[in-house]
Amino acid sequence: MKSGEEQDGFTTTVEMVRTRFAETVPVRERAYLQILSPLERKRIIELGDSDIVIGRSPECDIRFIVENVSRKHARVFFHNEEFMIEDLDSTNGLFVNGIKIVRCALRNNDLIALGGVRLLFNEEKSLQPR
Amino acid sequence: MNSSAESKTLLTFWGTRGSVSTPGRITEKYGGNTPCVTISHQDITIILDAGTGIRNLGLDLLREANGKGAPLTLHLFLSHTHWDHIQGLPFFQPAYREDTRLTIYGSSKKEKFLASVLKGQMDYEYFPVSMSALTADIRIQEMGKERIKLGPIEIELEEQVYHPAGSVRYGFNIYGKKIVFATDVELDLVFSQGRKSRKEKNHRDQYLAFIHGADLLIADGQFTEEEYAARIGWGHSSIPVILETASRAEVKQLAVFHHDPQHSDKFLDEIWLKYRTQYHAEGRGMDLFWAREGLTVAI
Repeated sequence: MKSGEEQDGFTTTVEMVRTRFAETVPVRERAYLQILSPLERKRIIELGDSDIVIGRSPECDIRFIVENVSRKHARVFFHNEEFMIEDLDSTNGLFVNGIKIVRCALRNNDLIALGGVRLLFNEEKSLQPR
Repeated sequence: MNSSAESKTLLTFWGTRGSVSTPGRITEKYGGNTPCVTISHQDITIILDAGTGIRNLGLDLLREANGKGAPLTLHLFLSHTHWDHIQGLPFFQPAYREDTRLTIYGSSKKEKFLASVLKGQMDYEYFPVSMSALTADIRIQEMGKERIKLGPIEIELEEQVYHPAGSVRYGFNIYGKKIVFATDVELDLVFSQGRKSRKEKNHRDQYLAFIHGADLLIADGQFTEEEYAARIGWGHSSIPVILETASRAEVKQLAVFHHDPQHSDKFLDEIWLKYRTQYHAEGRGMDLFWAREGLTVAI
């Protein structure tokens, strides 16, 4: 159909370049952890290709000085195109949706519990390259 | 053996769906792959069933093996040979490597030898690659009532007659910890209300004894109570029956398994919440979850 050609008096079609459609396809996923507890902390932790270690130690990427959190409690990492979380031999365990786990592929709205910390995993399609 | 070595038994779900694989947005949380579970202890890798979930397991094992430069020694225990429990085997990459040693275990009480059934699904009429293309060192071992031992792991088998063409359940004992894999069995036939024959009572007692005190029971819970009413004789259990039975047998943790293809993530979340709350509220002390792909727990 040629550009601007009248169809039925109501619609017209505009010639589109196919690559423009490709530009609008979300190719990367944005994933982040939302801190539900403790409330005073920054609310979002963006996840990328690098591992994130969570715990009480100053060496951790995300540090929580919170009851029952081990020095190095858990690690979040990207593996086989999905985000995983694993317990780093913590004293009080790592829970996903109330189940004590060693390792778990994360899915949208998974609730993660380590000691007194509560995190919500979120994943969404994004137009922004990571 | 020190206590940390004793405690390192990991169990991972690679496929949890029953009957047929169900990929798609509404099943991505619990997973769409058909049954496959691994038990790892020290350098021993045990695989339970070869549903479509075994494909991803194979890729993961190869990545790990290539990193270490080590050959793979694997033990595959089949509950039975219905499609959803063997269909992943032709896609199991380690089976195409000469340096893999794969022992496949199954019941000796079948009309056909296990080897011929597995070979049959790779007949050219069904699949373009024949079983002879699997260049791994594959040994097939049919099991009777005798226990076998793999390192510190003692393995026992018991026949399950309440499934079309039968199935088997396996028990794994590791330093006093007990894991039971008991899928594809219609427990409602022996545990429901009403008069039971002596034979049925025996089967009921055998099942209770086999799962008694298990640290983890992976059990068939394909149907809701309402669904089961229209599927009697299909060889699968209803959720309330397996929950009650496991609780009665003092199982410590129950993984409901072999999810019905019609059950979406939302639906499974809802029934998990309903029953988990109920069991916790009643203080029965049994932890309960719906098996989910990509989940690893320690025993």
